[in-house]
This record gives sequence, C-alpha cells and structure tokens, in this order.
Amino acid sequence: MAEREQLAAVCEAILAVAGEVVPVETLAQAAGEGTTAEEIEAALELLRSRHEGATSGLLLERVGGGWRLATRPELEGVLRSFLGIRSRARLSQAALESLAIIGYHQPITLPEINFLRGVNSAGVVRTLLERKLVKVAGRKQVVGTPLLYRTTKEFLIHFGLNDLNELPQPEELDATAGETVSGP
Amino acid sequence: MDPAVVTPDERPRPQVTLAVFEGPLDLLLHLVRENELSIWDIPIALVCDQYHKKLQEMEELDLEIAGEYLVYAAWLLVIKSRMLLPRREEEQGDPRQELVDRLLAYDKVKRRASELAGLDELRRGMATIAVHAPVQPRDDELVLEEIDVVQLAGALREVFDRHQREHPPVLELEPMRFSVREKIYELYELLQEQRTFPLLSHLLTRPDRLESVTLLVAALELVRLRTATAHQRDPFTEIYLTPTGEPLPTEGLSDG
Repeated sequence: MAEREQLAAVCEAILAVAGEVVPVETLAQAAGEGTTAEEIEAALELLRSRHEGATSGLLLERVGGGWRLATRPELEGVLRSFLGIRSRARLSQAALESLAIIGYHQPITLPEINFLRGVNSAGVVRTLLERKLVKVAGRKQVVGTPLLYRTTKEFLIHFGLNDLNELPQPEELDATAGETVSGP
Repeated sequence: MDPAVVTPDERPRPQVTLAVFEGPLDLLLHLVRENELSIWDIPIALVCDQYHKKLQEMEELDLEIAGEYLVYAAWLLVIKSRMLLPRREEEQGDPRQELVDRLLAYDKVKRRASELAGLDELRRGMATIAVHAPVQPRDDELVLEEIDVVQLAGALREVFDRHQREHPPVLELEPMRFSVREKIYELYELLQEQRTFPLLSHLLTRPDRLESVTLLVAALELVRLRTATAHQRDPFTEIYLTPTGEPLPTEGLSDG
C-alpha cells in the first residue's frame, strides 16, 4: 500500500510538470524499471479519489488516451479575472453540429457534412481546423478526391473523452427517438 | 434527385443564418415540431405552405436567403405535386421518404451537437496544469524538438564570433610599390627642369601616402648626397628643394 502511495506521488508530480495528457505507459516508464501499467492505474485511481475527496482546486482525469491534471471547471471565473482575460467564445451551433457529424462519422468529407446539415459548412470546418479540433486525414478516393476530416486528440480533451467510443449516444437514452421528433 | 447542396463546391459562400435557423432542415424540423406533426406522416402541403411563408417573412425582413433554402423550397414543391398524383404503392415509395430520412439524420446531428454543447459548457474553462520545472534539461542532452531555426542561427553566429576573436586577422605587409631609387631619379629630373622645387606641395598632392613617404626619403637622400639643399622660411610653410649643381652619383644610391 505504501508503494501505491509512493507511485501516486510520482504520478502527481510528473503530471504537474508535463502540462499535457500523459499516457499510462509513459508514466510507468518514468516511474522506473518493473513498474506495470496496472500499478500506475491503481495509483492514479487513488490520486483521483484523493483530489475528489479533498476540496482541491485541481482534478485528475483520464482523457484523450492518457491522464492529466487540470483546474476545476467551476473555477473558470476566478482564473479569468486573475489572468485578466475574457471568457473563451462558446462553440456556435453550426460548429457543434459539424463537430458532431465529424466526430460520429469520421473520416468524412465536406460535401457529406453539407448534405447532413443541409447547408454549406466550409467556413465552419475551417474554424474547427484553426481551433485544432479537427484535422485533415487524407482524401476520399471518389470523383474530385475531397479531403477527409477527423477529430483530434484536442477534441477528445476538450470534451473530456478518453477515446471516440466515449462519445455520448443520446439516441440510446431516448427510446422514443425515431418514433416522433420531440423538442430538445 | 439530389439537391445542389451536395455539390463538392468548397468555395466559401456568404454565411447567412436566417433568423435562428441553421438551414432548411433546421427550419423544417421546427415546423414539424411547432405543428406537432408526426415525422412519419408529414402533411406535405401544410409544411410546404408554411415553409414558403417563412421564406417570405425573411424576405420582408430584407434578409438575404441562402441558396440552400431555395433548393429545399423547390424540392418541397416537387414532393407536394407528386403527392397529388395517383401512385401505385408497390412501384414507387412514398415521395416524402427521402425528406423524412434527411430530417431524421439531421435531428440525430442536432441531438449529438446538443450533447457536445453540454460538455463544452461544462469543460471549456478547464486548463491543464503545467508547473514550471526549475530543472533545465542537462546541457549535454540535445533536445532537438526544442530548438528552432533562430536558436540554430544564433549558435552559428556565436561560433563565428568566437573563431574571429581567437583568430585575429594577420598583419599583412603590402609589397613595396615605390622605390626610393626611382624617386631620387624622378626628383632629380624635376630639379633639372626648375631651379627651385616646392617639395611640400608636391608631397601633399600625391594620391598615395606611400608615394609621399618614398618621395620624402628620396628628397632626404638627395640632400645627403649633396645634390640638393632644402630650406624653409618658417615652420610648417613650404619646403623648397634647390639643386646644388652636383651631379647625381651613380654609386651608393639607396635601394630601398
């Protein structure tokens, strides 16, 4: 048990200086010879529960294929005023719809996105590219060889997902979906 | 029948958002909900009329109507007219089928988008912790990804500077371009032509300092050989060379 405590401390320190998502394997390597991914996972769970239990301003989360330490979302206002910066613009409805399409149907082309949304989405997709939430992933081998788009690791981190399988499936929750179209 | 919205035209069109609708599918979904219609049995005549009425309202508000809305308006009219034609169920499907499929697909997109909106709302204030580590990477450890072109150029500059400091330019001696002997003869010639020769003016007007120096040495040599005398009235005034009448000895001339 003491060993797990020690590993938890090691992971916490590494994640603090990393400043990004760190995969479990990398943590195991850094922790020293013979440390297994399972031991790291156990230590991280211990650390997470500790952050959750205490009134900490930080939290530990599994996201984007690894783990990271982050500030608590509810502290945004305090941090913004300390840093003297304005709140980041909310993603527009058009951006969210395009992201949803790319997220669930990737890889997908712009004409396909346009078709699903019923409107041209070139400008929105460009914004998503700039915000690094999506990336170009080759070309589709059809007439015109349009670019294919995929979501990025940044997308997973932004929405708190470990991998694409964790994308929310609202239709599963709503058994009546497909029967009638009800309000949101 | 594919409306023009699926053309692979990727040129950005003017972004026009009509009222609160994201596009024709959004507007149609709104009409279905507003009238509490079943999506499986859309009264196409009613929806078609309301859709056109909505476009008219937008026009009255002087809003530019994006092309996609007009494509769907035309499509709705086609479906409406097909509904009026007698059809045999087994041969042709419901003319509304494709519209229903698209509306359902778009509704799915909207639900998923709204899930993402919730996550975005919840999480967009989060920042990854990055404690500034006081320990720099060891010097002998080359972290290539942290080096950019500017740093590389700076390092190269430093190498050049150090090389220059440690290897100062060598003192270069230029080969003698003028010989004293040559100048002695030159001065002697001049002294034969004119009785009194203004030496200082001559020296100061030479284009080459080395030539002036050689000339001065030659003049001193002439005085030493007693072929000429030099005199000056006041300090810093003209120095005159006057021939003594003695011929220039052919031996003992400085070779410098």
